Amino acid sequence: MLPPRLAVRMLRAFCNKHLSEAILGDLTELYEHRRTHMSKRRADALFYFNVLQFLQPFAVREKKIFMQSNPYAMLQNYFKVGVRNMNRHKMYTAITIGGFALGLATCLMIFLFISDELSYDKHYANGDRLYRLYNHYNNGDGDKWMSTPASVAGILREEFPEVEKAARLIPYKWYNGGNNLLRKDDGLENTFEEGFAYADPDLLDVLEIPMVYGNHQQALDKAHTVVISRRISEKYYGKEDPTGKVLVLNDDKANAYVIGGVFENFPRHSHLDYDFLLTLTGVEFWPGEQTSWCCWNYDNYVRLRADANVPDLEKKLLSIRDKYQVPYLNETGDATSADVKKYHLYQFQKVANVHLNPENVSDNFSHGDTRYLWLFGGVACFILALACVNFINLSTARSANRAKEVGLRKVVGSGRCMVMRQFLSESLMYSYVSFAFALIITVLALPYFNSLAGKSLSLPWSAPWFLPAILLSAFVIGILAGLYPSFYLSSFQPIQVLRGTLSRGTKSSTLRSAMVVFQFTTSIILIIGTLVISRQIDFIMHSKVGFEKDQVLMIQGANTLGSSQEAFKAELQKLSDVEDVTITNYLPVSGTNRDQNGTWLDGRSKIDKAVGAQHWYADEDYLKTMGMKLIDGRNFIPTLASDSQSVIVNQSLAKELGLKKPVGEKIMTWETFTIIGVVEDFHYENMKGVIRPLFLSKGSGGSIACVKGKSDKMQSLIASSQGVWNKFMPHQPFRYTFMSDNFARMYEDVQRTGRIFFTFASLAVIVACLGLFALSAFMIEQRTKEISVRLVLGASANSILRLLGQNFVKLIALSFVIAVPIGRYMMNLWLQEYTYKIPLTWDVFVVAGLLALAVAVLTISYQSIRAARTNPANGLRTE
Amino acid sequence: MKGTYLGEFEELVLLSVGILIDDAYGLSILNALEKQTGRTIMISSVHKTLVRLEEKGYLRSFMGGATTTRGGRDKRLYQLTRAGIKVLNHSRELRNDMWKQVPSVIWEGAK
Repeated sequence: MLPPRLAVRMLRAFCNKHLSEAILGDLTELYEHRRTHMSKRRADALFYFNVLQFLQPFAVREKKIFMQSNPYAMLQNYFKVGVRNMNRHKMYTAITIGGFALGLATCLMIFLFISDELSYDKHYANGDRLYRLYNHYNNGDGDKWMSTPASVAGILREEFPEVEKAARLIPYKWYNGGNNLLRKDDGLENTFEEGFAYADPDLLDVLEIPMVYGNHQQALDKAHTVVISRRISEKYYGKEDPTGKVLVLNDDKANAYVIGGVFENFPRHSHLDYDFLLTLTGVEFWPGEQTSWCCWNYDNYVRLRADANVPDLEKKLLSIRDKYQVPYLNETGDATSADVKKYHLYQFQKVANVHLNPENVSDNFSHGDTRYLWLFGGVACFILALACVNFINLSTARSANRAKEVGLRKVVGSGRCMVMRQFLSESLMYSYVSFAFALIITVLALPYFNSLAGKSLSLPWSAPWFLPAILLSAFVIGILAGLYPSFYLSSFQPIQVLRGTLSRGTKSSTLRSAMVVFQFTTSIILIIGTLVISRQIDFIMHSKVGFEKDQVLMIQGANTLGSSQEAFKAELQKLSDVEDVTITNYLPVSGTNRDQNGTWLDGRSKIDKAVGAQHWYADEDYLKTMGMKLIDGRNFIPTLASDSQSVIVNQSLAKELGLKKPVGEKIMTWETFTIIGVVEDFHYENMKGVIRPLFLSKGSGGSIACVKGKSDKMQSLIASSQGVWNKFMPHQPFRYTFMSDNFARMYEDVQRTGRIFFTFASLAVIVACLGLFALSAFMIEQRTKEISVRLVLGASANSILRLLGQNFVKLIALSFVIAVPIGRYMMNLWLQEYTYKIPLTWDVFVVAGLLALAVAVLTISYQSIRAARTNPANGLRTE
Repeated sequence: MKGTYLGEFEELVLLSVGILIDDAYGLSILNALEKQTGRTIMISSVHKTLVRLEEKGYLRSFMGGATTTRGGRDKRLYQLTRAGIKVLNHSRELRNDMWKQVPSVIWEGAK
């Protein structure tokens, strides 16, 4: 009579070796005794009961036979064995470490990138009290923007005690903001400088700008003063203190500026970067400008008191709207005043949040995108996971080689724990070596990455947390990656190993296949991403924009020509390789002026809602030079005096105003205009959004002379234009850009994303292929005998390839099937942002899949060809 | 011998091992104890005590014994060590000492 087998197995499972046999024997004896006078059922039940009684610590824990006198004794041996193992299989070691190092280097660089993006504007001592004011039109569309009228800062200061200090900044290219020609009072030559902005004296204090010379209170105190940055000061005045010296802008001696001080260059991690701050003290751009609520051009920065409650304060700010803004609108009969009262809010955004802009306030600074941070972080982790998968796969696959060693160790007395410790320490070794290589790779690749991401990152060697963090991460990753292989390798039973009946790693082939699928799925998704993004960029760059951007030279600084502008233009037009010339400030590329206004049909400004439209000034040659199509009406006629009130609208504006036949109709801003023509819509912002309304009115003069060349020989065009320029302005440098470059700059961020994706995709594919390379080498090794026999029987390299490839091709097909829906979903999400986008056609996915397949086949075929070349006798010799 | 306090059950088990000389293993000790004391004892507590006593050094164990009908399994046989004998003697002496000190009046009262 035997006791129930399950109970016996249970006891064996948890009981220690010292007691299990004896206890089982006792219980069996009891059982046999019981069966003489009880039913089987009852005896069984009692047996189970007895077994459960032994679920106590004394029976479960191993009896302490000995205490380890030196826990580190074996580590030396593990190290030696590990190193020997690495040396013996140099290729596998190289592949594992290479893949690991690549993955780690990528993670490291992305980590630097992310921490850089997160560290913008965090350096203020009073950062938790530093905010900027923004407008929020809360009608569901939720437009948020920065600029307010000039008087708002004063109102904040006087009517709200929670505001400790408030200061304004004008960040636009307006009057002397933006760029100017600069010379010292006693100088002759002008230099073109950028980075001008208007600021209140208090801004220096609010933004905690450190001063090199001068102090916060006095630097911008008086009218017509300016503070300059350290780099400008050193450029013009060397090491001496330039306070009190005079600077002349644009040769305007009557309105020269006195230097009130020098400030430290804005740090890289600030959303602001100016070289000149012109004081707003005593400034009034036109009579009544400082108090009127007509025009919104000022950004406001505030420092609140420590005890200020921001949401409460924001509610109180509504009084600004009700006391000043709405009455003004009512006075001027603006129909929107009721809506404003309903929807317009004033709110605060922490300056620390400006760069990543989670509140999504529109301003004209460049921002980082949190979505990209998540995306890149995720991708980097994935690539690291790929490398770990490689390691795990290779370790378990080659386990047969270590089986004898494990068996022997166990026979000699090593417990399973110790064997696990051995393999964990080996994977730690791999991890640390890979980390060292990763650091080297990062140092070498960082310049390239910096140009890719548009940053200047560097490894923070000197930071106290850096080295410990690296060592700790290496430790953690080594343990994580080594966990499964250790478990697997330490589970070999000595009897199986030494007898030779150990299944050679075929049991885990499903896991291994799963990992290969994971690697290739990630790679295919990244390839799809790269292809789609590059196609979209291509599309944007080459699609019809509604104007001609190629072969156009933009000559800057034309405003300095003054009265000789017309003559200059005429001279240029006379050149043989020049087709057309126009002089303007407003162009459909970035870096030129913008002027947003509210427009209405004539006489309806108090009845209708305003239609926001750009108001650009152009001369009669504008349309021709820009290659814009006039689809109705006529161009400006220079000799016609009434044309000063004529405008040409774009289709979008006509539509918004509800004009079916625009020509001859009248529209108004604060003046009235007559429409004389309609121009075909052209893109003047980046093509993500729809084309917004715009109109052109007659205005000559401007600072950019656009020269359209007849041919694409830009060099000769530059030369001849320069000749004309030097005739007119011998003392001004000839500055020019190509319109196509300015246009491309609007899509810099998309291009950058595309390049980053391309890099990631290549990395992922490389790591995946490394894994495949090693795996196929291993499989060949496994089947040496079989392959040798086949070779003897006349197999070609092709058939060997097919033999190996069969399995892998199936896996890659599976990866493809998984990757496509994920890739499609993600790309659709990304493309949604663009109003003008490419259709997501099937050929992108097929190309991605084929690419992955091709690379995989290449990898495997290298190994197969090598195998086919070997002498079959070598493989069969051991028989 | 200070601090080596012997529990009541532990003492009983030690004595059983002494009584059973060559055949002291889990089940036999259990049967002997049940017969001598008349209590129902769980086999797991016997084993637990045996392990504890061995850890304390009062018993030594070895696998052996003729296999009868235990599914072919050996028994783990226990023997008293010199320390075990010593601690039993010490315990007996302590008890006897205290018994002697109780005045005869008490014994007569209980009769």
